[in-house]
Amino acid sequence: MSLNRIILKNFFKSVKNYALYIFALIFSVVLYFSFVLMSQDDTIAAELQSESVMSTGFTVGSVLLVVIIVLFVMFANSIFLKRRNKELALFQLIGLRRKKLLRILVLENAVIYFGSLVSGITLGFLISRMLLLLLLRMLQIELSIGMSFSVTAVTQTAILFVCIFVLLMIQNFIFLKRTRLVDMLKLNQSIESDYRGIGFWTIVSGFLGLVMILSGYWLSMNIMDFGTVLVPLLLGILFLTIVGTYLLFKASVAFVLNVIRQSKNGRLNVKDVLSLTSIMFKMKSNAFLLTLISIISALSMGLMSFSYISYYSVEQSVNASISNDYVFYEEEEMLFYSELLDESGINHEVRTVPFLNYEATGEGITINTPRGGSEIDLVIVSADHIESATVKENEIIIKGLISTLDAFMNFEINSPITLFNSDYEQTLELIEVDGEAILPSHVARGALQAVVSNEVYQKLEEQYTYDEELRDNLVSYAIDISEEDSQEIFELMNQDGHHSFESRINQYTVQMQGAGVMMFVIGFVGIAFLMTTGCILYFKQVGEGEDEKESYKILRKLGFTVNELVKGLTIKVVLTFGIPLLMGLLHTYFAVNAGWFIFGSEMWLPMLTVMIGYVFLYLIFAFFSLLYYKKIVRESI
Amino acid sequence: MIIQAKGIKKSYGNRLNRTEVLKGIDLTIEEGEFVSIMGPSGSGKTTLLNVLSSIDQVTSGHVFVEEQDITTLKEKKLADFRKEDLGFMFQEYNLLHTLTVKENILLPLSIRDIDKKEAEKQFELVSKELAIYDLKGKYPSEISGGQKQRTSAARAFIHQPKIIFADEPTGALDSKAASSLLHKLKQLNSKIRSTIVMVTHDATAASYSNRVIFLKDGLIYSSLRKGERSQEEFYMEIMNNQSVIGGVGVES
Repeated sequence: MSLNRIILKNFFKSVKNYALYIFALIFSVVLYFSFVLMSQDDTIAAELQSESVMSTGFTVGSVLLVVIIVLFVMFANSIFLKRRNKELALFQLIGLRRKKLLRILVLENAVIYFGSLVSGITLGFLISRMLLLLLLRMLQIELSIGMSFSVTAVTQTAILFVCIFVLLMIQNFIFLKRTRLVDMLKLNQSIESDYRGIGFWTIVSGFLGLVMILSGYWLSMNIMDFGTVLVPLLLGILFLTIVGTYLLFKASVAFVLNVIRQSKNGRLNVKDVLSLTSIMFKMKSNAFLLTLISIISALSMGLMSFSYISYYSVEQSVNASISNDYVFYEEEEMLFYSELLDESGINHEVRTVPFLNYEATGEGITINTPRGGSEIDLVIVSADHIESATVKENEIIIKGLISTLDAFMNFEINSPITLFNSDYEQTLELIEVDGEAILPSHVARGALQAVVSNEVYQKLEEQYTYDEELRDNLVSYAIDISEEDSQEIFELMNQDGHHSFESRINQYTVQMQGAGVMMFVIGFVGIAFLMTTGCILYFKQVGEGEDEKESYKILRKLGFTVNELVKGLTIKVVLTFGIPLLMGLLHTYFAVNAGWFIFGSEMWLPMLTVMIGYVFLYLIFAFFSLLYYKKIVRESI
Repeated sequence: MIIQAKGIKKSYGNRLNRTEVLKGIDLTIEEGEFVSIMGPSGSGKTTLLNVLSSIDQVTSGHVFVEEQDITTLKEKKLADFRKEDLGFMFQEYNLLHTLTVKENILLPLSIRDIDKKEAEKQFELVSKELAIYDLKGKYPSEISGGQKQRTSAARAFIHQPKIIFADEPTGALDSKAASSLLHKLKQLNSKIRSTIVMVTHDATAASYSNRVIFLKDGLIYSSLRKGERSQEEFYMEIMNNQSVIGGVGVES
């Protein structure tokens, strides 16, 4: 029997130990392949109003995916190498040369690797079909999808994974080259020397970590006050929170746990032994990894929240920018399309709304920028033109307050607002503020709109100083369809394909699809992040479980029951998964809180939905870790 | 008598390929005795110890500890039994390296509702007796092998168990550390009146005990009592006995 055969036999016999690694590989292949397959699916692209949305979204997504996958597979490989340390050392001990050993590793890996590649592609194909259905639902497109299989996708995936394979072999080579035989035999024991007391610097940096995170949060809450130095400020916040998180894991956790521990004066119960003391050391040595996990979690939750916020707010943001079903730039165009609609027997109303520009100030308005003040531009419309608004004399309603402006301005209901220009003033009481636009954005030009009673409007008009050239432009032209507007009506009006108007329903479709694709891609990448971080934590727990097997044995000999041990380990798992997750959640909350208004009009519901989903998936990994621990404890004696 | 074993058999493997390690052992140990179990490697010393201490299960036969048959106890009861009545020492010191010396020693007490002062008193007594009181804040990685084994001994004694099982406790120690440990064990044995059952292959270590039981091929081969003899005389007799059985004694 040749050595190669012995080694291969050994490998196939212990294939159970490789399960984790194989799982990691198949998982990555599935992830990437299904993503590529979907990005090449023509059926969706054809349905979308704007094709570029799809391709850019997927390109950005795939780059991110490649990065995660490479890191993830390399991480799994390094854990795997360490586990097999003794075996590799043994082969070297009996005189196998490194070159030969590397060749064996290549052979072994090739078997695992290409096996995973094939099964991953098969699995990925099935999963991508399911995901595609989900995507179509999100884009509100009804379409049946066939089973199209793309050869390019297969080649693309295969090429990527061959490249990763080469990378892994380089990693293995470096590992073998770097570690001396003596170290390899000892590698498992070397960890023990880390268990030492807590020093002065741990206390200092532990404290510093907490301070840094808190000050980062504080800055993010007060970002508006420092508007003039926005970019350095954002970088500063990033720096504070990231370094703070690192120090937290490196020192703060150990420091806090140590305080609890000292208070027990040596009398630790089994729960403390398995959770407190173990975590105290493990967190410290895994600080970098845990920081990465927290930041990645925060990043993916944050991005998912933002994209969900914008998806969720599409309707509101369309309503805030397009005031009517169809909005025209010129009167002639409006009349032309009105005639067209008449010919087709579609009931509609023509809306010609005159307006005035005034400045406004008063107690009811506060502006939260460093410049402060309370003067804003308002576009004034008479209540006679706005059916939905009821305004008494001396009252005013402000319209079109989108979330981006809302973050800067505060309006107080029932407070006075004074409209003024160079030689006239009129004070009114603010009774309502609302996000919907009443004038198209090309006439409001980003300014807020206001509705006043017709009497007030007359007076304002009399006192208005007209800029002669612009006199005719102070009117907006629009059409509202009496019944429900529909895609068919839009198609009718858009016969030549070059429409010179804005359509609410079309805008809604375009934005919905844009936000939908974005959300899908970000969601996909976010879940990939989640799965990889979850897997990494799980792998770590499996490793720690193996390391601590001896401890469980001792404890059981001392007379602790399986249940008591499992209770202690539950606390450990909850803390190891919980602390990074908690940090991720907090980071996400403060990040979203600081910038959500740029993306949409509703923060809590989308953010909480994302967070709950994330936490739930995360808990699955914690649960599996616990099951694994249970198994180890049960088998320990 | 504190331990009584009747017809213990233990075999490993499946029906086709079976190895019988213990082939029917009858044994009684009196309260307060210090008993050594010796024998060549493969004779079943450690298996016997594991069976007596409830860590391993017998294939047939019964082990009575204070009249209670422990071979029929359920897992939870067994855990309670180990917790209350047994202390363990092993060749690998079996300390938890995430805990300090003091925390390691106090571990068995943490299961009980013993008040802090009482625990502290016990700790002081045992650790001073074993000369490791000053190391209480250190981690296992920071102390020597002999100190680790004494910590392990302190943990075995702290809750004043009825029986202490020791598996090659001196195996990893140099002769000086070994004799100091055994000396301390003997002192504690007479002070606390715990019964000690120790597996060893070292005749010097065995000469510290009151009785030595020799195993061969899964059966009790012979048994020696120290009686009124001096330690040296006892040692010589053990050596003689060993060379009769064969194994380690002959080669040395």
